[in-house]
Amino acid sequence: MLEALRSASDLPVEEEELARRCGLPPDAVRGSLQRLRSKRLVVLDEAHEALRRITPRGEATLREGLPERRFLNALEHRGGTLSPEEAAAAGLDPEERSAAIGILRRRGLLEDGVPFRRRSGSEGGPVLLPEEVVLKQVANGEEDLDGAIFAALARRGLVREERRSVKRWAPSEEGRRLPLPAEGTEPIGALHPALLLSGEWKGRPFRPYDVRAPVPFLTGARPNPYISWLEEFEELLVGLGFEQAEGPLLETEFWNSDVLFMPQDHPARSIHDALSVEGVEGHLPSADLVSRVAAVHEGRPLPGEPRALGAGWPGPYDLTIAARPVLRSQTTAVSARYLARHPSPPFRMFSLDRNFRRESLDASHHIEFHQCEGILGAPGISLRDLVGIFRELAKAIGIRELKIRPSYFPFTEPSIEGYVRHPRLGWIEVFPGGVFRPEVVRPLGIEVPVVAWGIGVMRLAMVALGTNDIRELFEDDLERLRGGA
Amino acid sequence: MPQSVLSEERLRATLGVPVTPEQLDDLLFVSKAEVNGREGDALTISVTPDRLDLLSETGLALYLAGMVDAAHGLPRFSELALPAGAEFRVDRSVVPLRPYLAGVVVRAPADRTLDAGTLSEAIRFQELLHATVGRDRRAASLGIYPWEKLTPPIRYSLEPLSDVRFVPLDGPEEVFALDFFATHPLAERYGAFGRTGDRCLVLRDAAGSVLSLPPVLNSRSTGEARIGDRALLLESTGTSERVVRETLGLLLVVFAGRGWSVAPMSVVGPGDARSDGRSVLSPPPVDLPSALVGEVGGEALPAPEVERRLGRARLSARPHPGGWRVGAPPWRPDLLAAVDVVEDVLLAVPIRPEDGTVSPSYTQGRRRPETVFRRRVATDLLGLGFTAPHTSLLVPAARVESLGDPAPIRIRNPVSLELAYLRHRLFLSHIEVLAHNTRHGYPQRFAEVGPVVVRAPASEPGAESRYHAGLLLASESAGFAEVAALVDYLLRRHDLLGVREPAELPGLIPGRTARVRVAGEVVAELGELVPNLLAEIGVPVPTAYAEVDLSALWPLLGGREAL
Repeated sequence: MLEALRSASDLPVEEEELARRCGLPPDAVRGSLQRLRSKRLVVLDEAHEALRRITPRGEATLREGLPERRFLNALEHRGGTLSPEEAAAAGLDPEERSAAIGILRRRGLLEDGVPFRRRSGSEGGPVLLPEEVVLKQVANGEEDLDGAIFAALARRGLVREERRSVKRWAPSEEGRRLPLPAEGTEPIGALHPALLLSGEWKGRPFRPYDVRAPVPFLTGARPNPYISWLEEFEELLVGLGFEQAEGPLLETEFWNSDVLFMPQDHPARSIHDALSVEGVEGHLPSADLVSRVAAVHEGRPLPGEPRALGAGWPGPYDLTIAARPVLRSQTTAVSARYLARHPSPPFRMFSLDRNFRRESLDASHHIEFHQCEGILGAPGISLRDLVGIFRELAKAIGIRELKIRPSYFPFTEPSIEGYVRHPRLGWIEVFPGGVFRPEVVRPLGIEVPVVAWGIGVMRLAMVALGTNDIRELFEDDLERLRGGA
Repeated sequence: MPQSVLSEERLRATLGVPVTPEQLDDLLFVSKAEVNGREGDALTISVTPDRLDLLSETGLALYLAGMVDAAHGLPRFSELALPAGAEFRVDRSVVPLRPYLAGVVVRAPADRTLDAGTLSEAIRFQELLHATVGRDRRAASLGIYPWEKLTPPIRYSLEPLSDVRFVPLDGPEEVFALDFFATHPLAERYGAFGRTGDRCLVLRDAAGSVLSLPPVLNSRSTGEARIGDRALLLESTGTSERVVRETLGLLLVVFAGRGWSVAPMSVVGPGDARSDGRSVLSPPPVDLPSALVGEVGGEALPAPEVERRLGRARLSARPHPGGWRVGAPPWRPDLLAAVDVVEDVLLAVPIRPEDGTVSPSYTQGRRRPETVFRRRVATDLLGLGFTAPHTSLLVPAARVESLGDPAPIRIRNPVSLELAYLRHRLFLSHIEVLAHNTRHGYPQRFAEVGPVVVRAPASEPGAESRYHAGLLLASESAGFAEVAALVDYLLRRHDLLGVREPAELPGLIPGRTARVRVAGEVVAELGELVPNLLAEIGVPVPTAYAEVDLSALWPLLGGREAL
């Protein structure tokens, strides 16, 4: 390449011409020239040229005539007067017709008002309109033309200006002086299979690389940090002897709330808080289970038992509400389904999954959130075991300070919350839980005490991943995920 | 959580025992109330929904007095006797609309009258009860009236709108009920609960004075309690006898807790609306088996300790076979069963983390085998160089509707049109990922294993949650063959061989779209994205997509992945 430039008599040489002279593809020439330039062996003279081109629409117009010409022709054909109806029948669409009338009036070729008439004195007007002249000039590749008319045609999409960069190259002073190796002893650049197979590399030097030169910025696939964090959290629970469970994301209100002894008119179940769906019909589970749950809601004894478990809730239990599908609002519904399968005690279950509440979207609230539900059931299990689990989980996520305060959930009694002290955020509420009420476990056929907790793991993840915006956990920026941003 | 602004000065005065702000915060931390803010005398408190009584200065002071051992046991209040005829007469006409009513008369101690603080506390607490347990007045609403201006008995009935005239509490002059319901903002909001056709609910005394139009507004003449009043009528109307009783019991704390004496009003009327009014003052006691405290709390407490703690919680306890019979004040409707009382026993002293026990685990922890399988697929995709976004199950309405896909389930009450459908394919989310990343260069390769929801009319919720793996390639060379090869690879990893067949799917080019079956089951769909979709989201390169139904694959693996 350098040799071709040094021997050229018409410096600087256009890049495309240089490729032709060297018999190399343009991409290869471009790469080599950039390498030579980085070594200051060639200099670049770059210019930008404007090329005026006719568009396909312009070519069609050239063939069929500009709308204003076609309007004038129709006028001439009708003896110099044209009614709006005749103009409409002249083959121009309404947009073209309106544009043509405007242009002809501005050019003084058409009277104002209807019917349309040639302006008196303009009958012997220009043989060619200026727009027609410029359009033909552009089609013929002529350079010297009226710029204002060209711009007007460009706005009509009939012509366009293309800008192109022209690169011309010449050897630098250093490039002229540099001694070039004799034919056949050039250093080897990139190795390629043909070179290796032919043995042509033997006895030839290798072109040294600038090992300090910048290289492309590469990134690889990485696990999603939030999903990885959730998996690590699951690992903790598996280590503590918990078995994983899952449940439907679209759930009936029966499992989402009724089984959990939440009153059917509880505000959290209203249309303002729970997300319901259209066009889906839910069904109830076995009549036996439904009747047991209905009994505790209405404060009646369970079938076959002498006394009610408690006072229940005001009002009759409504099966229509129970069968309604809603987006699951708590993973406690998964616990209820698990318990309904009558696991043999002792059992430890966890479910870390998505839930949905009708929250406004902001930095700390999202409609969709992960919750980690856990239950622990065995003879002799008590609130102390729940506190013990909180302590172990806090320890496992690296937090030593924990304090407990009372809380309330319709399905647990007693209900408590564990607060942990975060070095930056202070005391934060992390572990809500309690002992399942008899009204929850007894209708499901569970006879041992069951403690339950539901951790808002997104909050913990935000702390662990160093973000203040919950929306960042729904990350879909590929650059950031690849670690490139 | 329910929240209200209390007067700290009034709280301290009612408590009568000096506590520093720090002590107050600490005491509240171990209660079901919490300080959310302080500004001058204004103390913003939130409580758990079961302890609304703590949102009144009096209720909170009664509780705190127990916790600092300044008072013990059930707060006592003296009972009045009302003259004969001091009763409510409920007309049968109210039954279809709002049948239940309860009332009590409260009288100030001899040396006191209604003061500004108590009136303000009562009105604020009344509104809070409307909004919470009263379900915005639908289930129950409360009224406070100057008893000495009333002429009992009080009649509760539906009256023709044209017969009712009164001066609204907030109005200057007498109006007809017809005009009131047509124009008053409170009538617009609550009118439907107190009016049916051309008749409305009215509380009227024997002298013909209108006390109120429940549950909308009191009258000014006989429905306005004023500073200096010596006796008040508190009443509650509603659609549930229990909620009516509970709201009235809660409001009572403001007066009974300050030493006012109380007289129940009997209710004469049809059906179960009839009562002697005593149930408001004496909620049914709860029997607490002595063993239950140890079972729930994990530690058997000596009987004196249980009784001491019940006293701190301001409850009464008297021995009963096998345990205690526990009495609660009218403002504790949360005590539904023995476990609720156990909670009061356990929480009467702070629970410390060191009280927790870690029992040995007799269970073996494990992930669901199907989850393990999904995770392996996700790892395979990562190994193939796919970036892993995490997307929402909810997708934008505009995308679903522009694709004309009828399968996704629509949310009835979406918060935003951006999250208005449940995706049935990850494809719907991945189009959004592609659209959000047009500012980055190509090639782009990303994949996600995530849930979708598909219609399943025979299932209990009417839909089924499934897991899919979606993978997308956007590059100058992306095409059908590459995604098909990737699907083949994923199947081969699990010793499965898929058969492709032509398919048509929204968003994919007909003729370049396929379904993959294994043993007759559809397990994957794939194809090239239609150019108009790419143009719509500004993607300048060909894009190919595949989605594997992992929930369909799992049964075909016959549990092998579990091993």
